[in-house]
Amino acid sequence: MIRTILRIQYLRLRNNPTELLLVFVMPMIFFSIFAGIFSNGVATGADKKIRVGWISNQPAAAVSELLEFLNSDSSLQCSPLNPNSGNEAVSETKMSALITDAQRSGKFDVIVKLPSELTSPATTESVQMTLVTDGQNPMAIAMVTSIVRSYFAQKQASIVASELMGKQSTHDRSGELADSGIGGYSTWTEDPEQPSRESGFGKVATPLDLYRANQGSDWIQTDPNGVHSINDRPLVPQRWAIPPEKSAESAQFEGVASKEKSIPFSNEAVKIVVENPQAASQENPRIAMYAAGIAVLFLLFSATGNAAALLEEAESGTLDRILVSRASLFQIVGGKWLGILLLGCLQISVMFFWAEIVFRIQLLKHLPGFCVMTFSTAAATASFAMLLATICKSRAQLNAVSVVMILSMSAVGGSMIPRFAMSDRMKDIGRWTFNAWALDGYQKVFWFQSPLSSLQTEVTVLLGSSLLLGLLTLLLSGRWKKGSF
Amino acid sequence: MTDAPAISVAPVLTLNNIKKKYRGREALKGISLQLYPGELLGFFGPNGAGKTTMIRCISGLLKPDSGTITMGLPDDDPANPERIGLVPQNLAVYPDLTVQQNLEIFGRLEGIKGNYLKGRIAEVLEWAALKDRTRSLAKSLSGGMQRRLNIACSILHHPSILLLDEPTVGVDPQSRERIYTMLEQLADEGAAVLITTHQLEEVETRCDRIVVMDHGKIVADGTLSDLVQQTIGQPHRVILRFDRPYPRPIEAFIFDDERTSAVCSLESMKELPQVLAVLKRLDQEPSRIDVRSYGLQDVFLELTGRSLRE
Repeated sequence: MIRTILRIQYLRLRNNPTELLLVFVMPMIFFSIFAGIFSNGVATGADKKIRVGWISNQPAAAVSELLEFLNSDSSLQCSPLNPNSGNEAVSETKMSALITDAQRSGKFDVIVKLPSELTSPATTESVQMTLVTDGQNPMAIAMVTSIVRSYFAQKQASIVASELMGKQSTHDRSGELADSGIGGYSTWTEDPEQPSRESGFGKVATPLDLYRANQGSDWIQTDPNGVHSINDRPLVPQRWAIPPEKSAESAQFEGVASKEKSIPFSNEAVKIVVENPQAASQENPRIAMYAAGIAVLFLLFSATGNAAALLEEAESGTLDRILVSRASLFQIVGGKWLGILLLGCLQISVMFFWAEIVFRIQLLKHLPGFCVMTFSTAAATASFAMLLATICKSRAQLNAVSVVMILSMSAVGGSMIPRFAMSDRMKDIGRWTFNAWALDGYQKVFWFQSPLSSLQTEVTVLLGSSLLLGLLTLLLSGRWKKGSF
Repeated sequence: MTDAPAISVAPVLTLNNIKKKYRGREALKGISLQLYPGELLGFFGPNGAGKTTMIRCISGLLKPDSGTITMGLPDDDPANPERIGLVPQNLAVYPDLTVQQNLEIFGRLEGIKGNYLKGRIAEVLEWAALKDRTRSLAKSLSGGMQRRLNIACSILHHPSILLLDEPTVGVDPQSRERIYTMLEQLADEGAAVLITTHQLEEVETRCDRIVVMDHGKIVADGTLSDLVQQTIGQPHRVILRFDRPYPRPIEAFIFDDERTSAVCSLESMKELPQVLAVLKRLDQEPSRIDVRSYGLQDVFLELTGRSLRE
């Protein structure tokens, strides 16, 4: 009996091409799509550089050293916010405006506001570096912070090395130290594979180089773990960190150091401030973004589900009855489209109101932008669903096609993986999906808190697509009258 | 059966040489037909004969490749053309809506609203014997009720032409009877009703006129007796069979060559007593006597052959 029951299942599967497609071909299609999307770091952003925008209230020449250092880091992609940077000084007001615009554009992960004090490296004043972030990519801010710190550490090392060179005659140090051109307080972990860091100023040799050149000297020690310290400075947790207090051993440099009230670019002197202008007025923007991502995904599914009713009506003959009535084809298609649109708006609204109640996403504060984006997104998905229903010949076919298309669009468009984590190439591919445009729009509303006018591109694309697909649906809907389904 | 329409009445629907190619084959090959107010026309034909294509052409869902379809009477207002009601073969109602809601929806689609719609719904519910099920979901109704609702949804706007595609498929005899009573009422009120069906008995007993269609053509058109007359001849026959050749002629009977079988055709069964009187006078007792009346099935098989069509 079990064999017979199994045979029934086998025969049903064998005789049903749609089910066969869903069972065997669909997984292959999905695998291929997702493998294509995620392989080679296309989607994950493994190949992605952190996009750093910089701005300075000084001409570019003044900050060229730091910029050169940042540019030399292969994980960063630096570009100026101000196209005229390098030629003119920028006022604080203009800087703020440029930073706000740049942040809202979503083109930068981190914006570095370079301090004017960098023009005088030996200043006794404290230097403040401001890193502006929108908070989307926490990894980006951590990496840029560490790279900037490393710049200042190396910068300090080079200054101390210069001082050492000045001191070497007093302490009868060897000439090799002067040739190497650097000494310092930093600690370095020996790694034979790691070359000396090529800094922007190009003269920085690692303490390890010095160690190799001066093995056996009494001022470079090696601990049992192979960590070398210069001047017996206590090990510091980060390689760019500079101990604030001087050790007893460094007292030998007293004569040099005492000339300065503080060590230039030391931790006390260089202050890195991370700013998130939106954070003050944001409560839970990330939740709003997740809500948007999921909302678009479900909107696409529910829209195609509702549009499938058209196929059911065609199969049952209800559509024939309606077509024979006083309703025109335009009215029928338009009415269905409007129904899907309204239901979509309602669905997204319910989801966001729920998110507002539970997660406090500040929906009411962003209501106009939310309404505009919700309408545009729902309109686009309604047209998409109507077109699919018009093209497909049966509900089963629509189900198969819509599942493949919607999941692919959602994967590429950012409903499954945050768009900020995607590579630029992937983001560009995502622009062929409604998800991407909708999410970019919602991001502007909830994250960047941009004005309504900034949604112009997203709204134009979504409503334009809606119009285009709607017209295409109308053109193809003539088949309902011909009974060719 | 309703009274046959008077010949002088102008047709409410005229099809003139309608041709239509559908999915690569010629589905209609020059159909010409007239439908009169108050007429119940049975459209009969094997599967694939072109009945549904013709109904779709009449209802405007399909545009004929050639030929003309004229609707309405000569004195009709051109701004208010004849209205068609279509009852598809499947249950073309919304199963998740109640009976009342379905009627409201389809009434509104026909442009009826307000109190007039309410009044029409009440009338139609009475007409379809669904008055006590107004709040029931359509899917919860019995098959017969669903069929009646299916028809009811198409007559809210008082169509002058009602097209029904196999309206009694899968219903019990009581429901079928009720449905034909409903349709006859409509015809009595002046609507022209066109039914396609495979139920021979329904067409024979209920329809005023029968059209037989095959291979996209109308092969016969008329009342049942007309069709029998046209295809078979006299509608009744008395057939005598003898064990051995009968030696003499029998009045009104025609013998076969072997003289073991004789046939008498009757115009009407009223002639049967006279034939029986003749039989009383036979010298030799027949081994078998058959009295056979020819119906639509005989006409149909005569016209369309006995080979399977699907």
